[in-house]
Amino acid sequence: MTEPRFRSRTFARVKKRLPGGETKTHYVKRKPKVAKCGTCGTSLKGIPKERPYKMKILGKSKKTNERPYGGNLCSKCARALIKKEARL
Amino acid sequence: MYETGRLCVKIAGRDARQKCVIVEVLDDHFVMIDGQTRRRKCNIKHLEPLDKVLKIKKGASHSEVAAAFKKEGFEVTEKKSKPKKEKTAKKRKSVEKGAAKKSIPKKEDSEKTTKPAKETKKKTESKDKKKK
Repeated sequence: MTEPRFRSRTFARVKKRLPGGETKTHYVKRKPKVAKCGTCGTSLKGIPKERPYKMKILGKSKKTNERPYGGNLCSKCARALIKKEARL
Repeated sequence: MYETGRLCVKIAGRDARQKCVIVEVLDDHFVMIDGQTRRRKCNIKHLEPLDKVLKIKKGASHSEVAAAFKKEGFEVTEKKSKPKKEKTAKKRKSVEKGAAKKSIPKKEDSEKTTKPAKETKKKTESKDKKKK
């Protein structure tokens, strides 16, 4: 029987294959949602989806795109905005 | 539209939102750019042309491009390379220990080398005695 606190669905269940060959369910805290574009709402590529303690460890360049509006807008929306700025 | 000297804004990549000038047309799709961005080959799709055309020779050097940019009033930040410092090799503690260990067998070696020498001397002496 699992521990009472693990019976709730706040924990994600991950099946792990142990070195002995048997599979066991591990109880892990759920990860946050994927980062999304500020205008169109598509998921952003190259931005990790980790819990804050792990995001702290990661470097700045590993959490963003090396581009103006990187990490906030998707590449298409960023291009459109920069084009607009250039024409003004 | 994309001829040499055309001022553009880069849309994509790390140099996005920076102004550049077309130095050379390489292809139907690719041009050589320089200016506020780094000097590089670039796809036309990654450029947004502006209405200005700078007076630049085909294949102009970076200094010429920078001068043309200054005339227009655009700043070009130059990369400053730091003067290289000579690194002094740090002495490791582990190395010193190793040297001490090595020194011990050396003594042994020296003893070994000396011992046979003595023996040879003795032998020679004995030989000499025999001769006498």
